[in-house]
Amino acid sequence: MERGYWIRSKPVYSALVWQQQANAHLVLVEGSAGGLAAMKLFQQMLPQQSITVIYEIEAGDADYTSALKKVVPDDLQVLSSHDAAMKALEAYLPKALMGLRIYVAGSEKFMWDIAQVVQQYGVEDADIAKELTGTLARSVYCVHCKAITHNAHTNIQVCAGCGKNLFVRDHFSRRLGAYMGLMVDAEDPGQIPEIEEIYP
Amino acid sequence: MSHINVKVAAIEQVTALIKHFTFVREDGQAFPVFSGGSHVVVSMNINGRIQRNAYSLMGNPEETESYHISVRRQEKSRGGSVHMHDVLKVGDSLQITYPVNLFALEKRAHKHLLIAGGIGITPFMSQIKDLERNKANYELHYAYRAPEHGAFSKEIKANIGNKLVTYVQSEGGELNLRALLSKQPLGTHVYVCGPGPMVVAMIEAARSLGWPENHIHSEQFTAPPTGEAFKVKLTKTKIEVTVPPEMSMLEAMEAAGVDAPYLCRGGACGRCELEVICTDGNLLHHDNYLSDAEKAAGKKIMPCVSRAKCDLLEVVL
Repeated sequence: MERGYWIRSKPVYSALVWQQQANAHLVLVEGSAGGLAAMKLFQQMLPQQSITVIYEIEAGDADYTSALKKVVPDDLQVLSSHDAAMKALEAYLPKALMGLRIYVAGSEKFMWDIAQVVQQYGVEDADIAKELTGTLARSVYCVHCKAITHNAHTNIQVCAGCGKNLFVRDHFSRRLGAYMGLMVDAEDPGQIPEIEEIYP
Repeated sequence: MSHINVKVAAIEQVTALIKHFTFVREDGQAFPVFSGGSHVVVSMNINGRIQRNAYSLMGNPEETESYHISVRRQEKSRGGSVHMHDVLKVGDSLQITYPVNLFALEKRAHKHLLIAGGIGITPFMSQIKDLERNKANYELHYAYRAPEHGAFSKEIKANIGNKLVTYVQSEGGELNLRALLSKQPLGTHVYVCGPGPMVVAMIEAARSLGWPENHIHSEQFTAPPTGEAFKVKLTKTKIEVTVPPEMSMLEAMEAAGVDAPYLCRGGACGRCELEVICTDGNLLHHDNYLSDAEKAAGKKIMPCVSRAKCDLLEVVL
C-alpha cells in the first residue's frame, strides 16, 4: 500500500449501525464473520420497525444461527448456499416498500452481488450499509477478455478467462462489483513480479 | 441573460384567483422544447419598475408554438401577480427567459409520486405529459381548499383518469402524507410543489420513514418579502445601491444598472449567491438554498429573496 495514494472508486466500508428512521429493515450476512457482525448489530438499540435477517452459512463454518435465533425478533432465514440466499433476497424484494433499510456484512462479492439485485428495484448501492467481514478477497475484471475472476488473494491473479497474469488494481467498478485487472507482463513477457498474498 | 420576446395570445380565467396565460413568440419562430417541471422568469414593467417572477411552464413540453403559465393572484405581495391579473391584456408584449428546470423528473425512478397543493399543480401539468409519453408508472395527488380552487382538475382527470387522486379540504378530503409515503414500492421518487408548510411536512414524513434524500424532490419559489430599506455597497463595481422596502436586493441592483447573476429569482437555485464582506446589522435569509449552518455563518446571501436589517451591507460584486 503506497502512502498518500488513494483511488476514489475504491469503496470504504464501515460497521453496521441501525437507522432508526425507517419503514422496515433487511439484514443480509454471510459466513461466520457476517454472523458475528449481525450479533454486534443486535447489541445496539433495536429499531421499532420489522426486521428480517437473511443468513448465508455454509456447512463446516462456525455458525451463529442459534445465537441469532435468540435475538432476531421477527424473521430469520438461514440459507446454506449463496444461490439460496440470493433467491431469498429476490423473494423478499417484490413486496418491499420505500423506507426499507438494507444492511449487508460479508465478503465484497456477497455485498456487490446483493447491490446488483437490489439495483433492479431502483435501490442505489450508496443507500446500502456495508460492512466488510471475513476476507479481503477481490473479484477481478480482466480488461483484456472481460471475464471476472473471483476470490483473488494475491497482488497478481491468473485470469480465469484468458489465463493472463493480471495485476489487481484498486480501481473498482460498482456496476461490475470488481477491481480492474491488467496484464502485468505485457511489455516484458514472462517478467512476473513476486506474487504475494495481500488480500487474505 | 438572453430573453425571448413574447406576446400574450390568450388569457383564460380558470378559477376566481387563477388566470392561464398563453404566450407566442413575437418573431414567429418556434419556442425551444423543454422538460417537464421547467419554469421561465417573466419580466414585467410595473409603473417603471421592472419585476421578474418565475412561473412553471404547464403546457406540453413538445409543443413549440406556444408556452403556457398560470398565475395565482396574491393580494399580499409586491404586485407581480396583481399586475399579471389586472393590467396584462391579450396582445401585450413581455420578455421571458429561456426555460430552466430545477424540478426535473428522475428518469431512473421505478415509480413517480407527484404531490401538488393548490397552484403547486402547475409544474406537474407539463411533467404528466412527459410521464404519459414515456408510459411511466406514476400517481398525482392533488390537494386544494375547495372545489372552486381546483384549477385544471377536470382537465387532468380527463387526460390521466384514475392516476389522479384529489383531496378537497372543504369536503373533508385530507391528504395523509405519512400514510401515502409508507406504502410506496421500492424505487419510488416523490415530488412535491405547494405551500411551504406542505412541502416541509412531506420532506419530514419521507425522512422519518427512511426515504433516501435523493428520492425526495421539492420545488418552492419564494416571492421576495418586503422589509426595511438598507444600503448595499458593491466592492467590485464600487457603487452603493439603496434597496427600498418594496424591492428585492437583486431588483435594486438591476435598477442601478448592475449586471447581477440570477436564474430562478425565488431562492431555489443558488445562482445569484453573493459573498458578504460585512454588515452593521443582521442578514434576513429567506431562501431555500443555503443550509442552516451557512445562513448562521452569514458569509453568503441570496439577493433574489433575502435582505438585511442594517444600514450598510457590503458584498462582492
